[in-house]
Amino acid sequence: MRVGLFVTCLADVMRPSIGLSTLDLLERAGCEVIFPENQTCCGQPAYNAGDRATAQKLARKVVSEFADVDYVVIPSGSCGGMIKAHFEDLFSDLPEYKNKAQWLSARTYELTDFLVNVVNADSFNTSFQGTVTYHDSCAGLRELGIKDQPRKLLRTLPHVELKEMSGAEQCCGFGGTFSVKYGDISSRIVDLKCDDLESTEADAVVLGDLGCMLNIEGKLRRRGNHKTKVLHIAEVLTGRNGEEAE
Amino acid sequence: MSARENILARIRSANKTGKVSDVIGGSAADRLTSSPISPIPDLTGNVTDRFKQRCEDAASTLDEVHQMEDVPKAVSRYLTEKELPMSLVCWPEFKNLSWSESNIQFESRGAIGDDKVGLTGSYCAVAETGTLVLLSGQDHHATTSLLPETHIAVVRRDRILKTMEEAWQLMRSEVGLLPRQVAFISGPSRTADIEMTLVYGAHGPFRVHVILVDQ
Amino acid sequence: MEITSQDFKAVSSAKLKDEKLQKALFQAKDGFVVSRAKVVKELDNFEAIRQAASDVRDHCLAHLDEYLEAWESRAQAAGTIVHWAESYEELNAIVVKIAQDNRVKKIIKSKSMVGEETGLNEYVEGHGIEVKETDLGEYIIQQAGEHPSHIIAPATHKSKEDVSELFAKKHDRPRLEDAEKLTHEAREILRPHFLDADMGITGANFMIAETGSTVIVTNEGNGRMTTTMPRVHVAISSIEKCIPTLDDFALMMRLLPRSATGQVISNYVSMTTGPKRNEDLDGPGEFHVIILDVGRTRVLGSELREALRCIRCGACMNHCPVYQNVGGHAYGWVYPGPIGSVLTPAYNGLENAIDLPNAATLCNQCGVVCPVKIPLPDLMRKLREKQYEKNLKSKTEKWSLKVWAYVATRPKIYSMVTRVMARAGKIVGGNSGRIRKMIFAGQDWTKHRDLPTPRGRTFRDIYLNSKKINKG
Repeated sequence: MRVGLFVTCLADVMRPSIGLSTLDLLERAGCEVIFPENQTCCGQPAYNAGDRATAQKLARKVVSEFADVDYVVIPSGSCGGMIKAHFEDLFSDLPEYKNKAQWLSARTYELTDFLVNVVNADSFNTSFQGTVTYHDSCAGLRELGIKDQPRKLLRTLPHVELKEMSGAEQCCGFGGTFSVKYGDISSRIVDLKCDDLESTEADAVVLGDLGCMLNIEGKLRRRGNHKTKVLHIAEVLTGRNGEEAE
Repeated sequence: MSARENILARIRSANKTGKVSDVIGGSAADRLTSSPISPIPDLTGNVTDRFKQRCEDAASTLDEVHQMEDVPKAVSRYLTEKELPMSLVCWPEFKNLSWSESNIQFESRGAIGDDKVGLTGSYCAVAETGTLVLLSGQDHHATTSLLPETHIAVVRRDRILKTMEEAWQLMRSEVGLLPRQVAFISGPSRTADIEMTLVYGAHGPFRVHVILVDQ
Repeated sequence: MEITSQDFKAVSSAKLKDEKLQKALFQAKDGFVVSRAKVVKELDNFEAIRQAASDVRDHCLAHLDEYLEAWESRAQAAGTIVHWAESYEELNAIVVKIAQDNRVKKIIKSKSMVGEETGLNEYVEGHGIEVKETDLGEYIIQQAGEHPSHIIAPATHKSKEDVSELFAKKHDRPRLEDAEKLTHEAREILRPHFLDADMGITGANFMIAETGSTVIVTNEGNGRMTTTMPRVHVAISSIEKCIPTLDDFALMMRLLPRSATGQVISNYVSMTTGPKRNEDLDGPGEFHVIILDVGRTRVLGSELREALRCIRCGACMNHCPVYQNVGGHAYGWVYPGPIGSVLTPAYNGLENAIDLPNAATLCNQCGVVCPVKIPLPDLMRKLREKQYEKNLKSKTEKWSLKVWAYVATRPKIYSMVTRVMARAGKIVGGNSGRIRKMIFAGQDWTKHRDLPTPRGRTFRDIYLNSKKINKG
């Protein structure tokens, strides 16, 4: 099957190991991975800021770039949610794109959902070991229903113990531009998240969304916690540490 | 144009231009006459048992007697146990019970500020939530269940219904037009307005005692 | 009520540093969130019930004029005097006229959020009539001269110590420390007012078209007192409170108490249909209902329409990470939290509450608990779109979006810019791998947290390069 990889602008710039890990996972599952070179952004920042016109422009671009695949897989709950849950609304006043949005939406999967429910991946080549706790990103959880999938994947790993944190489903306070526009509120919310995850004493907090990751990792380090690793689930499943640049 | 006309006109115009969603459909007139019932939770099991359990959950206490004549004894039991004054005001329907035999002073009238115990009947009860339903009207003082610190309510077993919907159905068939007030009472009055601490006896009664009568 | 939502940023920042408030908010969150979860779990078809409630509300809004007319004619048949008001002043004036016509000197009041909107108490007191709030939380804030900070628990921001001090001062009694004793003291103080007030004012949780009734849902008993003891009762309502039938009310009652306070049912549900009748032994001789429309019909015709489904349970704010940390007063008007972020600009004008729809992460913790499935984050986004259209966004934000749009629609430029960002970011971060201080918008990030650096190369470059290598 032809699987389009939408790497997300954030992972592209800030943490390519997420893209590399996703690529490995898809290839290991037997997918022919297509990476449309000209992809940039799904339009979510503009959409959430109220700039519908820009969001539509970027969304149209995505729709046309991913027109020739069987699936689109995205290592991000928020970009996945944007495409799957919001493109249709975005095109509500562009009837000719509405069908394309529906077509794309039906084929778009967040990474863990794809691994569990489409390719039934249940074994991974990873050296990662230790205790982990999982943070449920809001978009992944509430727009795409990502809850059991990452946990199922983590439980297949023989040297990994999963410890649930209290308030795993509580927002981390990122919210895109919210994190800078209302910085002190965002800071308080992420402090509370860090309290919860530190209480588990897990070696790593694992997530499916780079926005949340940057927010949480940034706060942990600022608080003086240089111990707890912050990893994307794709990195855990392939044994990367997040710093790879090749 | 009066405010009324303006408002109704704006509503009509908004519903013409706005993004109206009406999955249920049908006309207002239809719904008002047919009054369809929406999904109800699964409430299997004995209705009386559920009522008793829910009363307890609502912090009411409950006693059971066989017949109405046994009520004064049950009241006496309760007041003695709780160390409450052995005097009450009651709805007229109870005035001919043998109160003096149980050493209870009673007056058949509405409650005033100083009365400590009020005894009422009930129109029916709802098992789903442990609720008493009282209707205003002749011989049904509202003050009796409201002003005293203790409210004792007599409920007939055959008047315990499963849901609020059943209570409405009964009222429609028996009463027709609703009385001035339908009061649903589920336990003693309470508040948690101070630091989320639950306190009983806010403005209404501190305690509610239900006496279930078989017949 | 005067709107101060434009001070959101300053007030919310101050509230974050208010330790007493933080403690109160933490306690409240624990109480409301946990108890709601417990009681919702008991309903095995909760989602079906919720969907039905959402559909019933939509259906009623779609026929609102007919349902209101039906309600009015049945209410009038029972002897209710019905008034309609198109402005806050109009509603307040109607109340005062009713009071003056009935030689009312003292009013007891059971909570009304619509009354908060109109600034009723102040207006009435300005006409020399005493108003006593009787809901314990409302009584506390009335004594303290404050506004409610939550729609269900108005004094949630106050600690027990606050109340102890307040009561000792206002009641001129020895200071009590126990919540139970404080509550019972308030009961004692307020009881005589219930008995000698001339008029009672309540809100109306719902108006039931089938029977021409109004209903209030309370726990304390003050609602029952207010609708029974005085000789005149006025219920303050608004057009969207109308629901079709008694059975629709039963449906709402499965959701409202559970969502609001985690109760299976609220202690008292008091349904009123008209004033005292010949056979009644008590009750007010006159019963008035005032139906308000300020902003509601405008919202009805807009894309914010779903907000009118609201049944005022407060679940959205209880579950909102922003509200949980800043409390209700920061929102600057009657309704805080997510519903407040929608209604405040909708009823008062976008320009008067610019921060509110933006001060949200769009996490949808609110939407998933809303008993009538209001898509709150979508409505906030729609308000952001309106702000963008009306040029209410900051120049920086508009400019940054335009730059991003320009770059992101041009893949070649994008690839160049991102390559530079990845490289430069890594260099700035140095060995630590984190950036601790940035300029411009970055400042607002690095003020509170580090920024993990980019890794030096973009995924695109790595991928395309490796493909090139593999192609040989």
